[in-house]
Amino acid sequence: MGQSKRANNSSEEELQSSGNRIKSAEFQKLKITMTNSESKLSDALRSASGARAVDSARITKFTKALSGSSVILEKLRELAWNGVPPDMRPSIWRLLLGYASPNPDSRGRLLTRKRLEYVDCASQYYDIPETERSDDEINMLRQIAVDCPRTVPDVTFFQQEQVQKSLERILYTWAIRHPASGYVQGINDLVTPFLMVFLSEHLDGGMESWSVSDLSPQKISNVEADCYWCLSKLLDSMQDHYTFAQPGIQRLIFKLKELVHRIDERVSRHMEEEGLEFLQFAFRWLNCLLIREIPFHLVTRLWDTYLAEGDALPDFLVYICASLLLTWSDELLKLDFQEMVMFLQHLPTQNWTHHELEMVLSRAYMWHVMFNNSPRHLAS
Amino acid sequence: MSYAYLFKYIIIGDTGVGKSCLLLQFTDKRFQPVHDLTIGVEFGARMITIDNKPIKLQIWDTAGQESFRSITRSYYRGAAGALLVYDITRRETFNHLANWLEDARQHANANMTIMLIGNKCDLSHRRAVSTEEGEQFAKEHGLVFMEASAKTAQNVEEAFISTAATIYKKIQDGVFDVSNESYGIKVGYGGIPGPSGGRDGTSSQAGGCCS
Repeated sequence: MGQSKRANNSSEEELQSSGNRIKSAEFQKLKITMTNSESKLSDALRSASGARAVDSARITKFTKALSGSSVILEKLRELAWNGVPPDMRPSIWRLLLGYASPNPDSRGRLLTRKRLEYVDCASQYYDIPETERSDDEINMLRQIAVDCPRTVPDVTFFQQEQVQKSLERILYTWAIRHPASGYVQGINDLVTPFLMVFLSEHLDGGMESWSVSDLSPQKISNVEADCYWCLSKLLDSMQDHYTFAQPGIQRLIFKLKELVHRIDERVSRHMEEEGLEFLQFAFRWLNCLLIREIPFHLVTRLWDTYLAEGDALPDFLVYICASLLLTWSDELLKLDFQEMVMFLQHLPTQNWTHHELEMVLSRAYMWHVMFNNSPRHLAS
Repeated sequence: MSYAYLFKYIIIGDTGVGKSCLLLQFTDKRFQPVHDLTIGVEFGARMITIDNKPIKLQIWDTAGQESFRSITRSYYRGAAGALLVYDITRRETFNHLANWLEDARQHANANMTIMLIGNKCDLSHRRAVSTEEGEQFAKEHGLVFMEASAKTAQNVEEAFISTAATIYKKIQDGVFDVSNESYGIKVGYGGIPGPSGGRDGTSSQAGGCCS
């Protein structure tokens, strides 16, 4: 993964270049807001090199935040927003999602209980003979079974049979326990970052060399349980994203369109003139939380920020999407309808490193500070 | 490159029947054995020639899962052609055809040309739906029918092109008011303007990507 150190520009310079269409008055206002709140933004900009997360001073901060008699989640969120050191990620994600207890004394005991609860659920719903399932359940299971081998097909690790079996069990158990939405395609993608992170606790080296068959059934069961609960927690803040007609996603797409219009009127007008609709590209972005749009090795870093946002994630996602889209504002202006759809459905992010991703996130943060608490901005 | 006509297509059918693979085979001439699940819609385009006229096809490939139906329905409107796809190795995908047709009839314009495709005909050893049944269904519902294979490319060109030929014929016969873009047809350079006058025949979009 790209750990190359880059010279850090002054944050002001970088701010202006990243949001080059922001009027200077607004920029001044933003700076004031930032100084007041000693914001994450300056942190984010400094971390744009991608080397921030492994910086030793930073690791010390994380270690400190995790020690003590109870983890202060607010503090942890602030730190995690800019990226979590990979080997601390499993514990920190469990905490941020509210799955592991902030209290270290009861944490182990409660985790064991939750993991047993998952095993109970899975055996009650998944490990039963076909004859005990309803027709709907049979169809859902069949669907999930067809989809698991088609999940991130370009990452060979996920082609292992054992991995697909775990994925199937997690998804089916989740779907049965969440009948309002059931299984919606794309949720399969959302399990993959969890699988990768929780397996990294037990397997060494890069994931290309991982073999799940080396793990004991107990370990696999624990990983599955963690994935299951973390998926559940993550989707709790997005309940209506996967219910009938997916109103949550439709709402975010509407907001995204408004926000882009506000930030970059030229791009917004060009898209409209060409007849391009946001639904045509942003639906997948939101349905799969951008997993499909960036290289897989960057997804966990993106998710550090997601999980740090917690319940505010759906709102913030709109800003991330706007920031991602406007990364190519100049290019988009030159494209016609057909070229634009193709471009946006196959973003040229294959060679992205942490640097590009950090720029997307810091610009999203900046716009969020500017626009989120001033709805009049959006109304005009 | 300019076109005489632009036709908009939609590809529909159950999840996993090979809609995206058919599109990829048609636009890129390649087969991807394990294809990502389609979420919402995907898009493809290609130029073809009918009656010596360049015709651009813009194709919306829709997600097959029931839960996306409310999103994908909006793409019926404004489509001139539809490929309705089932998998000859999975009976249930054939059984659902009537539902798909019902959906199309409700949401598409009445003159939309529908081609029925039994995909994966390279897997004849696992066949669960006979060719005759496909033919019979097509006949009953007034559809054009073909068995095809996105893997071997058999009949893939033919399916897309003969659908275009049917639409082209309908234009010649004056079935459409081509000036009305809700039929999924746009007139470019050298096309016949619609009966009500139509668009400026020289307004073709130059330089468009047509891979």
